[in-house]
Amino acid sequence: MSVVAHLPHRSLSLTEEEAAQPPSMELTGRRRMSPADRGLSQTLYEEFHQDPRYHEYVLGCLNCGECTTGCPAARFYDFSPREMLQIAATGDATTLWDALQEKIWSCCQCYTCNMRCRFGNDIAGIISVMRELSVRHGLEATRKTLAPFGRSLTLLMTVGTQVSADMIQPDFFRDWGPFATGSDQVWGVSPEVMRKAIPLDVLQTTRSSWEVSVQTSLELFRIYEETGVLDMLRGLDPDLTEMLVDIIEERREEFREAREKYRDELITMKGPVASFEG
Amino acid sequence: MLNAAEIKKVLEERTQRQRGTGKKVTDVREEMLRLEEKGELLIHRIRPENRPVQMQTLFGWNKKIPTDRLWHHKSCGQCGNIPGYPSSLLWVMNQTGRRYLNEPHQTSCTAWNYHGTATSNPVALAAVAARNFHRAYETDHFPLVHCGTSFGDYKEMRKLLVENAEVRHKVREVLRGMGRDLVLPEEIVHYSEWVQAMAPEIVARRRFDVSAVVATVHEPCHYYKMVPEDAVYDEAVYGGQRPAVPTGILLSLGARVADYSTWYDCCGFGFRHILSEREFSRSFANLRKIRPMVEEAHADVAITSDTGCVTTLDKSQWIGKAHGQSYLLPVLADVQFAALAMGAHPYKIAQVHWHASPVDHLLEKMGIDWRSAKNEFMEYLKALKNGTAPELLHAPRAEIEQYFAINKGQVLPVEEPSVASASVSPGNGRVSS
Ligand code: SF4
Ligand code: SF4
Repeated sequence: MSVVAHLPHRSLSLTEEEAAQPPSMELTGRRRMSPADRGLSQTLYEEFHQDPRYHEYVLGCLNCGECTTGCPAARFYDFSPREMLQIAATGDATTLWDALQEKIWSCCQCYTCNMRCRFGNDIAGIISVMRELSVRHGLEATRKTLAPFGRSLTLLMTVGTQVSADMIQPDFFRDWGPFATGSDQVWGVSPEVMRKAIPLDVLQTTRSSWEVSVQTSLELFRIYEETGVLDMLRGLDPDLTEMLVDIIEERREEFREAREKYRDELITMKGPVASFEG
Repeated sequence: MLNAAEIKKVLEERTQRQRGTGKKVTDVREEMLRLEEKGELLIHRIRPENRPVQMQTLFGWNKKIPTDRLWHHKSCGQCGNIPGYPSSLLWVMNQTGRRYLNEPHQTSCTAWNYHGTATSNPVALAAVAARNFHRAYETDHFPLVHCGTSFGDYKEMRKLLVENAEVRHKVREVLRGMGRDLVLPEEIVHYSEWVQAMAPEIVARRRFDVSAVVATVHEPCHYYKMVPEDAVYDEAVYGGQRPAVPTGILLSLGARVADYSTWYDCCGFGFRHILSEREFSRSFANLRKIRPMVEEAHADVAITSDTGCVTTLDKSQWIGKAHGQSYLLPVLADVQFAALAMGAHPYKIAQVHWHASPVDHLLEKMGIDWRSAKNEFMEYLKALKNGTAPELLHAPRAEIEQYFAINKGQVLPVEEPSVASASVSPGNGRVSS
């Protein structure tokens, strides 16, 4: 009797309706795509190849794997810079779509791959181009990946620093232990007092990395408005974007009031302080 | 390591401006001069009053490191969670009589966010860089970049603004809308290069013997893997095979620098990972960096020179206990170590209490009485709680600066230093003109 006869036999027991559906995974390991996603993947593919940086960053590939040998992310994730470069260089719309779902977010942006690649590819850069694409189009997977960043994005967009002392809360950074968070349990004083003990006046705040002047944050926001960052963020999180616009409107009001208050001092001053209107 | 003849050959090749790829690398500074002649941008020059020191970069090109009249380009991560980093730097500047500005009119480079979430683009990043450059220029103080990522980003952005006319014109238009113009600094300078340039003055002020200390160095990726031609090298440090900073200052101070097999690896920060996927950062930092530093090199301290690296290497260790890995290797920035060796207060200045891995043992090895310093600091905290005014390294900002990036007496554009701008005199915390 052949060995095959001893193998467990599994009969096909799908309902007719189930059998009519395409398999959830195609044999290539690709996800099942809805017609809308298929259309979007084509748009993304075209936009990706039209990005002016594409031809500057993707120069060719030997498949040597030198980049992956030094890659920190490759040690812990199902990810490799060699594969990313291959997808960029020779992949089709579906392979690009797959990479945009999750893989692009494994990269640490350390630039080790760039330094090792004999072709001079900018692999970290092309991964950023892919990420920008996924943000601009507000891909569902990207929204999920970036969901924890609402607070830091708010800070970044309104005052231009990424963290604040009050973000480093002991319950969120429990793995950092009791010392690293300026917790009052260790020192017996509030986080505000801990910040006062830093001998630099602009750092004595818990709400930002340092105090940022109103003019500076308005100039920054203008950059975001005029370089398409705000529109990009709208695609990802419209509610957050509207909230940011409201915060900045309040700061503009504050700026206008301050212009009145300090009118005499400002009259004698030259440079942007004299001309910037908020 | 290569032998002496091989090292010489590599260095000769480098002066031909070639990287391993065989591609010629152009010196962006030469193109900057041409663009300035055409009126497309202004160059913020390093002048004699910046008291520059000459160093060499990867290809043997000269790089001027200004040591005086500096504009602190702070790092958001440092100021947010390892504030002893900037306070040590400003303290060393006070001790060595250097003038500087530490203002609220600066944003971060925003590149942490870009590398973490990609919610930006190169034009925006270039405009943010150029806005900060212009602010430094109008105060007539040369920008000194605290963060490795800001340094890497600004090198990239300067290159982009020089090489890409479309980006340059767009950024210039945005800047003009706010009364600013496109100014590029003659050099992008990382603070660790300043520390290295100041080595003779730092060593002359050393108060503690650090010769018993074994240090391992983590080289921040964005210092030398981004735009590699701008990083500083020195034949006397690793035979010119690795960047000269921050190792140089440790050697100058007399510490023992030990090597370990994974020196080339990143720290595990990952930009996004340190906030939302810390299990990766922790595992990478502990397994690939801290363990070899302790097991191979028997290090007493890990020294690095970037925000993300100090944060990741230091703060990832505490939880290692859960896996039986209680390394608790202290992690400090080069300038914190230098300040401590010069006698800075470990808590009031070096602010070591924000670090997760205790530094007590290291301080003891350096001969520093941390117990009395800690008691003194506890008393200081109580006093602050009761309303005592905090001790400051320089005069506080004026009330008007909460709103406006005020003109401090400078004339625009700065051709020659005919009018001195307000600077902080070191030591006494008063503003001088
Ligand atoms: S930049 Fe990204 S892909 Fe390249 S080595 Fe670092 S983690 Fe890997
Ligand atoms: S190092 Fe460069 S050539 Fe080699 S596999 Fe990676 S991208 Fe391709």
